[in-house]
Amino acid sequence: MGPPPVVTGISPKEGPPGTRVTIRGEFLGTSAVDVIGLKICGCDCLLSAEWKSKNKIVARSGPCKGRGDIIVTTRSGGEGTSTVQFRGYHESIGPVKESAVWVEEAAPPSVPWGRRPMSPTAYTPPDPLGLSTEGDDCKFPEEELHEMFPDGSGKLSDDNFQPGWYLLEHHSNTSFEDLKAGMVFLQRKVEGQKEGQLTFLKANTGAVMDQLDRLVLLKNMYEEDQRKNGKEPLPSLQAAIEESITLADSLFSEILSRKENADKTREALLLLTRHKFLFQLPASIDRNIRKKEYDLVVNDYTRVKNLFGNTDVKLFQKILDEIDKKIVDLKEKLYNRMKTMPINVQEQTKYIRLLISLNWEGDAAWVAITARKDYLMNLMNKVKDHFKHKEEQESNEKGKRKSRESESEGCWSVVRMSWCGAMCGALSSELHALWPLARRYFAGELAGEPAKPERHADLKEMIIAGVELFSEHMRACLMSGGGSVSGDAMRVRLVANLRHLREAYESLLKLDLPSQPLSIVEKVIFDYRVYGMTVLLQRAHKRVKGLVDKETWKIEEFSDYGAITNLPHLLEQYMNDALSAIHKCVFSGGRRESPLFTDGSEPTAALHKHTQQILLAYVSVLENLALNHDQGFNNTSLSVALDQPLDETAPPSEGEGRNWQQRLLVAAANAHFTRRVTLANITTAYDNLTFPKPTQALQVTKEALSSLESSIAETYLEHKGDPLVGTIEPSMYMGRHTTPENASVDDARPYVYEIINNLIAVHAEVDSVSGVASARYLRDLCETVCEELARLAACAPPAASRAAAFRARLEYTLLHIACAEHLTRKAENHLMEALAGIPPLESDEDKKRMETLVDGFKKRMHLQLASLNCNMETV
Amino acid sequence: MISAIAYQLSTKFLEEQKCPHKCGFAHNKMSKKPAAQPTLHKVIMVGSGGVGKSALTLQFMYDEFVEDYEPTKADSYRKKVVLDGEEVQIDILDTAGQEDYAAIRDNYFRSGEGFLCVFSITEPESFDATQEFREQILRVKNDENIPFLLVGNKSDLAEKRRVPLDVCRERAQQWQVPYVETSAKTRDNVDKVFFDLMREIRSRKSDDSRATNGDVKKRKGKKIKCTIL
Repeated sequence: MGPPPVVTGISPKEGPPGTRVTIRGEFLGTSAVDVIGLKICGCDCLLSAEWKSKNKIVARSGPCKGRGDIIVTTRSGGEGTSTVQFRGYHESIGPVKESAVWVEEAAPPSVPWGRRPMSPTAYTPPDPLGLSTEGDDCKFPEEELHEMFPDGSGKLSDDNFQPGWYLLEHHSNTSFEDLKAGMVFLQRKVEGQKEGQLTFLKANTGAVMDQLDRLVLLKNMYEEDQRKNGKEPLPSLQAAIEESITLADSLFSEILSRKENADKTREALLLLTRHKFLFQLPASIDRNIRKKEYDLVVNDYTRVKNLFGNTDVKLFQKILDEIDKKIVDLKEKLYNRMKTMPINVQEQTKYIRLLISLNWEGDAAWVAITARKDYLMNLMNKVKDHFKHKEEQESNEKGKRKSRESESEGCWSVVRMSWCGAMCGALSSELHALWPLARRYFAGELAGEPAKPERHADLKEMIIAGVELFSEHMRACLMSGGGSVSGDAMRVRLVANLRHLREAYESLLKLDLPSQPLSIVEKVIFDYRVYGMTVLLQRAHKRVKGLVDKETWKIEEFSDYGAITNLPHLLEQYMNDALSAIHKCVFSGGRRESPLFTDGSEPTAALHKHTQQILLAYVSVLENLALNHDQGFNNTSLSVALDQPLDETAPPSEGEGRNWQQRLLVAAANAHFTRRVTLANITTAYDNLTFPKPTQALQVTKEALSSLESSIAETYLEHKGDPLVGTIEPSMYMGRHTTPENASVDDARPYVYEIINNLIAVHAEVDSVSGVASARYLRDLCETVCEELARLAACAPPAASRAAAFRARLEYTLLHIACAEHLTRKAENHLMEALAGIPPLESDEDKKRMETLVDGFKKRMHLQLASLNCNMETV
Repeated sequence: MISAIAYQLSTKFLEEQKCPHKCGFAHNKMSKKPAAQPTLHKVIMVGSGGVGKSALTLQFMYDEFVEDYEPTKADSYRKKVVLDGEEVQIDILDTAGQEDYAAIRDNYFRSGEGFLCVFSITEPESFDATQEFREQILRVKNDENIPFLLVGNKSDLAEKRRVPLDVCRERAQQWQVPYVETSAKTRDNVDKVFFDLMREIRSRKSDDSRATNGDVKKRKGKKIKCTIL
């Protein structure tokens, strides 16, 4: 509503009825049709109002009297006010004064014949004072007169006639002299009247006589007329008049009827041309609908509704009904179109707008949104069914054609991949359509009616439902069904699937969706990443388990920890493969995804668990390889010395060129190497890839490895030491133990050499495999040997003869020398213990002899000693 | 039944309680309204026909310059203006310049509080006529010091000027009134003449009120003078 009109100027400010008045002011309407009311002094003057501008209206004043406001009423501003006033007055009209006459619209009471005689009150003598008032139209303000003579009247014939009023009204400008003259005139007139009728006749003799003459003439003429036309002239006249009346009537009615016909035709034609638009509308609506120019239809419809909406004309109503029917059909059509999927958003929006502008009852936009959502759900289900079907078909075909390819590709199949792609595409494209639509709907751009607040929640639920269905399907698609494919293919598909998911997620992010559905999608991605990681790790686990069959016992290199096969390297490689695949495929998070590994999170725990499993599997592989007792154990139960040439004698098929002791050693070396080097490498790999360190798994593995090492060592010693020790006693007493009393002792008994030879053999074997680590085995072996010697020495009867004692001392000394490098404190103690039981050398001669013998031994056994006390590297 | 009566009573009571509030407010408003109505200054435009009285008035009222000439009978304009920070109402009576209407002038002049006596600087006859108007005003108002401005209009037509400036000034000096030259066409000095006149009217009114409050003698003297005349 604009400001109300204000009238601030009036020109002229007073006047008789019909005065052309210029009204000025502000906000006097925006156009001619905006002015819906104009009252001057309470008289409606709208009929004559002529709108010039918003500041100016020209009108003619009505039959008002007195002072009053000028009130303009506009459609845009309502009823206005006025700061100025108009005064209307009725002019007293003289015969010589030009004047406009305001004709009352009410019809005057009809009088059958003649005119009503003039009422005596209307007769005003021109001027009782006989003064000329011409040109003296100075007005004395009527109000002031009313004020001055509250009960008076200026009319001569009134009872309350006030001479003062009369004089002021008519002679305000007459000079005193003139008034005096008027007074005299009036007096004379009054006296003249008093003189009576005779005087009147006297004064008017001429006129009276004249009248009499006329009357006589009239009478004569009348009589003559009577003579001519008979006594009754009227009937014939009447007949003639009546005849003429009938004739005139018939003529008139004929013309009238003809005119009426013509008028009707003209009117009809006029109507047709004027409302051409209306009459042609049904056809044009049809045409436009056919041409799909719905906007035109809507515009036409609105226009026709505005123009003829509340018409009373039957014909128009009929056409309107027809149009309405068409519009209803159109609405139905548009509604169905809008609901029918697939449809792009622009088109849908267009239909919604059209529906709204056609006053479709119901919430078109909301219906569209729901339809879209349903479509999304259906689409996803359809996609699912389609791919499920395809998958089944494929598996059936496969089953028929090549049954040996028993293992299906499961969730890594190409079908699943395209399923995932299709699903992601469907979700993102549909939400791309749905969400902006919804947003515009809530912004009120589409809504005919304001969006209800609960709709927000509904929409959110819809989107969540859609996304949840998506997530459900994706989980079913990607994370179930197992299956296996080659590592590369799997990796490629994992990455591809992830990319699909991420693309969908990315596009949803762009949409600025609420966080809840986003987090659902994100969860799917995250879970899939975890799943991918798990699968990769499981694959690594499997591969590691398969290492059992891969062991070739071919020594790859001699490390610091002994000779190793390629097992540790394979482990490292597998681990690295798995880790780098994880890193490449799933570790890196996309935009707004949570990182895969956080402290204490589920994936971290899973990663650690799987790492541990893999490593432990590796340990058990090593263990199986090393301690597989079924393999060639029987033919090694012979003495160590006899085992020696087994390589050459054994058939090449067995043990791939290695006997089991060597395997034990190699396994131990592998374990050791793994513990020291490979695990460290794996840790570095974790670090490099910024994965959380599997500290616990490593610890457990280390422990397992060391226990494996020690159990291997134990087994080895058991199988090497036991026969060696067992040979000591029999060979010691081989021949006679008791030496003759005075026999010269010039050499140790052969068992010493045997021991030394055996030791050399073991050393050679161990050293060839384990390198630096070989010392440990020899040390343990020496310890056992020394212990046995001490035991034998303690058991043997005390040396009876000097020679026996000497020999024993010699033997122990020689052994001591031979094993010097490998003796532990414990072993030395055993030897000392054995020596203690022998009486010391008594004579210098004996001592000298002993030294000579020892020197000789050293010289003789130089090669053996060297081979015993060195290792591979020094050779 | 009783409860219904009780209810009626209570509602009536409540209404009555509310009423004083309302009534008081309404009363306040009513008493305020006349006070809020700004002071009204009645200005009358006088001068010969065609000198531009209506043009000045319409220019002042509506910023509008009317080219075509249509003789005025008597027009009335009224609007609110801000005069030196005070909101006042100006009532302009635009009178007829033609001699035909000379007789009715007296009535109009009576109500005027200030006069703009307009002539055209291109028309010496209109300048001569100002003398007559001045005399008529003084006669009707019976006051030598009535707010009055001598206005020489059509100053934009300088090349057609036929009334010399010093002659105008001399006359104004003689009457002891300000002389201003205006142009309704270019709006030059239009606001100035109206506002100057309103200022004079205002100061005159405040003088009068002071006079009525204080000096009774002076008033009497005036009255006596009136009767003598």
